[in-house]
Amino acid sequence: MLPLVKKELGHFFNNPFGYMILIIFGLFANFLFVKDVFLVGTVSMRQFFSLIPWIGMIFIPAISMRSIAEERRLNTIEILRTLPLTEKQIIIAKFICLLIISTVGLALTIGLPVSLNIIGSSVGSNLYLPEVIVGYIGLLFYFAMGIALSIFFSEMTNSQVTAILLSSITLFALNVIGTDFVGNVLPKVIQDILVTLSPINHLDVFIKGILDIRSVFYFTSSVVVFITLTILNLEKRT
Amino acid sequence: MITLQNVSKQFGSKIAVNKISFEIKTGEVVGFLGLNGAGKTTTMRMITGFLTPTNGVIQVDGHDPINEHIAVATKIGYLPENNPQYTDMKVSEYLHFIRDVKKHGSIKEIVYDVGLVDMMDKKIEQLSRGYKQRVGLAAALLGNPKILILDEPTSGLDPIEQEKIRNLIKKLAETKIIVFSTHILSEVEDVATRLIIIDKGQVVYDGDKPKEKGSIERIFKEKINFV
Repeated sequence: MLPLVKKELGHFFNNPFGYMILIIFGLFANFLFVKDVFLVGTVSMRQFFSLIPWIGMIFIPAISMRSIAEERRLNTIEILRTLPLTEKQIIIAKFICLLIISTVGLALTIGLPVSLNIIGSSVGSNLYLPEVIVGYIGLLFYFAMGIALSIFFSEMTNSQVTAILLSSITLFALNVIGTDFVGNVLPKVIQDILVTLSPINHLDVFIKGILDIRSVFYFTSSVVVFITLTILNLEKRT
Repeated sequence: MITLQNVSKQFGSKIAVNKISFEIKTGEVVGFLGLNGAGKTTTMRMITGFLTPTNGVIQVDGHDPINEHIAVATKIGYLPENNPQYTDMKVSEYLHFIRDVKKHGSIKEIVYDVGLVDMMDKKIEQLSRGYKQRVGLAAALLGNPKILILDEPTSGLDPIEQEKIRNLIKKLAETKIIVFSTHILSEVEDVATRLIIIDKGQVVYDGDKPKEKGSIERIFKEKINFV
C-alpha cells in the first residue's frame, strides 16, 4: 500500500495543478479570515475554523476528483487491479494520500494562529492553544469525511468534472442543512435530524475546543461508511 | 498451470465469452487468435482477475483469481490491451513503483533485457509507441512472474520493434507460461507452440501450432465465421 501512497503523492506534488489548488486554498483561507480579524476584536480562531468547511467543499473535491475517475478514464485502473493489491488497499492508499495533501493545505494556515498570538500578546490577550489544536483536529476530521465522500463519487464516474460537481454539491448540502438558515423553516423533528446529520454542527463542537466522542464517532463512522461503499462498488465493477 | 472450465462472461445481455474451457501448462506459449470483439481480451482479463466470470471456474496455479487475487497477481505479469500507463511518471519511477508493489524483482536486469537502459530518466509520455510498449513489458516482467499474459504486445509497432518483442517472448518462453493475443498470424507462427482461436466468445480451435507454413492462415479462415 505504501508504494501507492508514494506514487499518488508524487503525482500531486510533481504537477503544477496540485500546487495551484494548495496555493488557492491557502490564499482564500488566510485572506477571508484576515480581512475581518481586526473587526472581531477577540483573539480567537473560531471564525477561521467556521469558515474552512465552506472553502473545503470546493478544495476537498478538487484534490480528490481524479482519484478513481482518472484511473478509469485512462484505464490505468486495470494496472492497479491486476497488481498484488486489494481494492481495500487501493482505496485506503488514495484516502491516506489525500489526507496528507489536505494536512499540507491546513499547514499553510498555521501562520494565522502564530501571528494572532503575537498580536494578541502585545495587548495582553493570548490565544488559547488547546482550543486551536482541537479546532485543527476538527478540521482534519471534516476533511477526512469530505475526502471519503469525494472518493466515493470519483469511483462512480470516469469524468473528473462530474466527480467534483457531485462531491461539492453533496458537501454543500450537508453543510447547509446544519445551518439556522435551513433549520428554522423546518419542523423541530426534522431540524433535529438534520442537525445530527450535518458535519457543520459536529465541527462546531471541536471549534469550541471540546473533543466530544459523539462527534469523533460521527466523522469516523462517515469515513468508514463512504470508504466501505467505495470498496464494494470497485469490487462490483467487474 | 492455467485452467478454465466452462467459463462465460456476460455484459448485460451481450455474451462476450461463452462456456470456454482449456488448460495451459508450463512451457507452453499460447497464441490467442480471433477477430476484434471475439472475446480474447475478456478471457485474458478473467485470467488476471480484473473481470469476474459470470459462470465457470478459473484456476491459476491452483488459485482462484477473484477470491485469491494476491496469490494470482504475484504469479502473473500482465500487459493490458492498449498498454495503459501513468504517462506523467518517469520510466524509472514507474518501474520502481511496480517493483515496490510486487515486492521483488531486479529492475536493472529487466531494463537491459527490454532495451530501456537509455530511457530511464525520460517521462513515459515522451517515449515512442515502441518504447512505451517496452515499458509495459518491463512492468509485466518485474517480480519474475511464472505466467505472462500479453494482450497484443506488438500492436502498433513497426516491423523492427515487432521482431525485438517477439525475440524477447521467445527468450522468456523457456521458463514461463506465455499467453499472448494478436491479429498477426505470422506472429503466432513465429512465437507460439500452441494455437487457440476464439470466435464469438467460443473456442473454435485449440491445438499445437501446425508445422507447415501458411497452415495457420488456412485454419483461421476455416474456423472463423466472417459473416
